[in-house]
Amino acid sequence: MRKDLVVAICLAIVIVIISYIVTLGGGLGPLFSDVRPLATVYLGTTFNTSNPIFTAMSPEAVTAIVWDYRGLDTLFETAVFYLAIIGSVAIYRGINEKLRISMGFGLSKIVKVVTKLLIPMNIAVATSIALHGHLTPGGGFQAGAAMAVIPMLLVVVFSRYFLLDIRLSKDLALTLRSIGLLGLALTLFTPVVIGLINGLNAYIMQNQAKINAPVSLPAFVGGSLISGSLIMYNVSEFLAVSFGFAILFILLSIEEGLVKDQMRGEGVEH
Amino acid sequence: MELTYLLLAISMLFALIATYIAIFEKNLVKAVIFSALQSISFALALYLLRAPDIVLVYLPITVGVYPAAILFLIRKTEEVEEV
Repeated sequence: MRKDLVVAICLAIVIVIISYIVTLGGGLGPLFSDVRPLATVYLGTTFNTSNPIFTAMSPEAVTAIVWDYRGLDTLFETAVFYLAIIGSVAIYRGINEKLRISMGFGLSKIVKVVTKLLIPMNIAVATSIALHGHLTPGGGFQAGAAMAVIPMLLVVVFSRYFLLDIRLSKDLALTLRSIGLLGLALTLFTPVVIGLINGLNAYIMQNQAKINAPVSLPAFVGGSLISGSLIMYNVSEFLAVSFGFAILFILLSIEEGLVKDQMRGEGVEH
Repeated sequence: MELTYLLLAISMLFALIATYIAIFEKNLVKAVIFSALQSISFALALYLLRAPDIVLVYLPITVGVYPAAILFLIRKTEEVEEV
């Protein structure tokens, strides 16, 4: 008990010193008062119609940086996540998740009703985060993470057999996830294809026209801002991430007994 | 400005306490809950530091997905840690 107290007091002293240096001591410069030079560069170019060579046509600087200025970074992050999901699918290979070894009842009726009310709201919020990702804070991964809560809630509250009843199987989730990745790939090569057809110079992952590459994806459709390729990337990433997490929860919720029986080669008859 | 610093300090202190309890808690389910509490106060701190994009991804992952994944794993092992 005495040792715990000493550890806690030491921790508190370290935290106080570090937080003093970082905030009031000015260790990182002023935290809230001014915009730093690097930020000024990005804020000046992310939505600037008077300078069409350098703009990303998106008022949301973070999404513009994530999918336009540093698009390849995000692409390889998506690849890492893709490999992690593929790894978990490979571990569970040959396991038939559609077999039922018990009756799933889930939690009480109160929890089920509340969850039923929450799920449409959650879908609406996630979709709006994805579709507004180029206008307000948010984007593909954020929306996918918000959407990933739904299969988790369904598994915990209604039991995993509910997912089977609404036909959200691992294979369907993998298909939808692949459609998302395909959307990413198509958006990636669209400027190059347009450039090849029109005989113009173009880069992979290009969004707006550059000095020696005059191919530009449409920033406005019907008067509303879609920021060229950014909305496509956000929607595709939304699909890929949300169904990637769905695969994880479908696999994690399979009963251990079922997995062991199938690995021993004993079919479970039902 | 002072209010922002004050809220930041309170949320980070709360996070520190929750982290401390989560590390020394022997019951793993309770430890996961304290870890989620720490995440909530981190989310508040990130919002105060004007990073709403991070908050939007941090909340569902650390309060929803990560505790659920850890709870699934705990169910497959033992609930109370034995040292």
